[in-house]
Amino acid sequence: MRRERVSAARIMKYVVLLLTVVYIVLLMLYASGSSRSFEEVGAEVAAALDAEVLSEQDAARLKRNFGLNAADFDGVMYYASESNVSAEEVLLIKVSRDSQVRQVTSALERRLASRENDFEGYAPEQERILKDAVQSVRGSYVFFAVSPDAGEYLSAFNRSL
Amino acid sequence: MLFCSITFLFLFLPVVLAVYYLVPDKAKNMVLLISSLLFYAWGEPVYVVLLVFSVLFNYFCGQDIRSHRDDAHRAKLSVIFAVAGNIAVLGFFKYYGFLLETVNAVLPVHIPYRELALPVGLSFFTFRAVSYVLDVYWGKAPAQKSLTCFALYLCMFPQITAGPIVPYAEMAGQLKNRQVTVGKTGSGAVLFITGLAKKTVIANAAGAVFGEISAMPAGNMSVLTAWLGVFSYAFQIYFDFSGYSDMAIGLSRMFGFDVRRNFDYPYLAKSMTEFWRRWHISLGLWFREYVYIPLGGNRCTVSRNIFNLMAVWLLTGMWHGAAWNFIAWGVYCGVILVMEKYIWGAFVDELPKVVRHIYTGVIVLVGWVFFFSPSLGYAFRYLLAMIGAGAGIADADGAFLLYTHWLLYLLAVLGSSSAGIRAIRWCIGVFRSKGGKAAAGAVIYTVMFLISVAFLVTDSFQPFLYFRF
Repeated sequence: MRRERVSAARIMKYVVLLLTVVYIVLLMLYASGSSRSFEEVGAEVAAALDAEVLSEQDAARLKRNFGLNAADFDGVMYYASESNVSAEEVLLIKVSRDSQVRQVTSALERRLASRENDFEGYAPEQERILKDAVQSVRGSYVFFAVSPDAGEYLSAFNRSL
Repeated sequence: MLFCSITFLFLFLPVVLAVYYLVPDKAKNMVLLISSLLFYAWGEPVYVVLLVFSVLFNYFCGQDIRSHRDDAHRAKLSVIFAVAGNIAVLGFFKYYGFLLETVNAVLPVHIPYRELALPVGLSFFTFRAVSYVLDVYWGKAPAQKSLTCFALYLCMFPQITAGPIVPYAEMAGQLKNRQVTVGKTGSGAVLFITGLAKKTVIANAAGAVFGEISAMPAGNMSVLTAWLGVFSYAFQIYFDFSGYSDMAIGLSRMFGFDVRRNFDYPYLAKSMTEFWRRWHISLGLWFREYVYIPLGGNRCTVSRNIFNLMAVWLLTGMWHGAAWNFIAWGVYCGVILVMEKYIWGAFVDELPKVVRHIYTGVIVLVGWVFFFSPSLGYAFRYLLAMIGAGAGIADADGAFLLYTHWLLYLLAVLGSSSAGIRAIRWCIGVFRSKGGKAAAGAVIYTVMFLISVAFLVTDSFQPFLYFRF
């Protein structure tokens, strides 16, 4: 009886280690960032954006909308619609240290809540795209998009890594 | 989730404490385990899976080692496998990017790689796991039969993110039998509030000053500014990490666990050796117990002892981060400790007390320069600025920062010594009756808590420094 329990523990430790390896491989495939430079990643994402709707914004606009200082990060790319009645925007940030990820995701949550409040009740289409906003953290990259094409932009971001 | 967040203070902690105190003793571990997994998943939803795998892997390894009690060879193979498995996972997450960066920098190649964020607390729960398998192997503690108890040891939310790294043998008994008393809860709450105030009132403010100074080019810094910068960092890291440790130990106590203190006024030390007995005590003990002594400790030749010390300090440096500055810092600490042990320790002991304090202070502050520097080049430029190779003795920036933050530095100096706690005890002691003392204590700590919350609400997000390790 004891011999059976012993072998079960031994088998299980190998099984769990194997599962851990599989899990790490999955993380590498679906949750990892990239050692590619911000310029390379940013250029590929920017090329996928709808240039008729979105235009590049400066650090002051980033600070006003998200409360984030562009200088604190390794790279920032912020595109938004110039129209006051559009919620479309795309933000790509490369953090310089892991702890900044939380800072950025908190800022994104606040921004989404604020924009939902802005459009609530009078712009159902904008409310819908805000609800469908995508956000992805891949290593040191944080991506955020509010757009009818958010899914496509996210795919472009994933491909760029 | 952070201890110093509104969600934790006003939602998570009160709910968990209420449920914990209400459920019968048999269910307490399960309540604490579920809340710990929730706590971890709140900030690291992806990595909670890794944590669960680590629990299962080490639990089964412990069972396997126990089953080989009568077969020393098989037990040894089993424990080597367990330690190697843990270190491999830690090494992968922590060092593989650093390794590839180094290869890319040294060799004429560019190997692209995919970065993974470091799971919060990985270094801490891995060290606890290694402590478990080694304690079981050495017979210091029996293998844990209950998966819930073992999972709680590894995942307990007060200690998961940044320690203290309590050895399994110390926790084994408490996992099954511990008492939650009003006294323990009260003293735990006091310790928690003290830690919260250290973090929110002093560490964050010192961090803001250091952030301002470190943004300046090191070559253009005056002596005054450079020293203010390193003092600010010294206060930031001390109040940040000792504050976190106080909160962790206080919370553990509120759940009935007794955990030894992690800091013992390290800036009062009179030698580097003493400093390391007072700073991050649990990590020092871990390395002593699981690396230094197995390597032979000091019961060996001088050369072997020096090798053992340097190995421990190289590993300590690497444990803090995958970067050359941490390795340089570890080697620096190791060299100083070897020197104190074999060259100038006896001489230092003969010096007047005040000189020993100054000697230790300078040695520690120089060490912090390596610790906080993004590169070795920056560290040396900063050190040069500290001795006057930057922009002269004093400049307007340094004078302004000193003038506007003198109260912060005064508070930090008082808080780094036992003067702060003595002042609180004196205030409480003014009242003679037991009730008066209790009321005074309640008022003081309530005010401290409210001030901390006020700082918390008005400050921007500031995670604990040790989360990145």
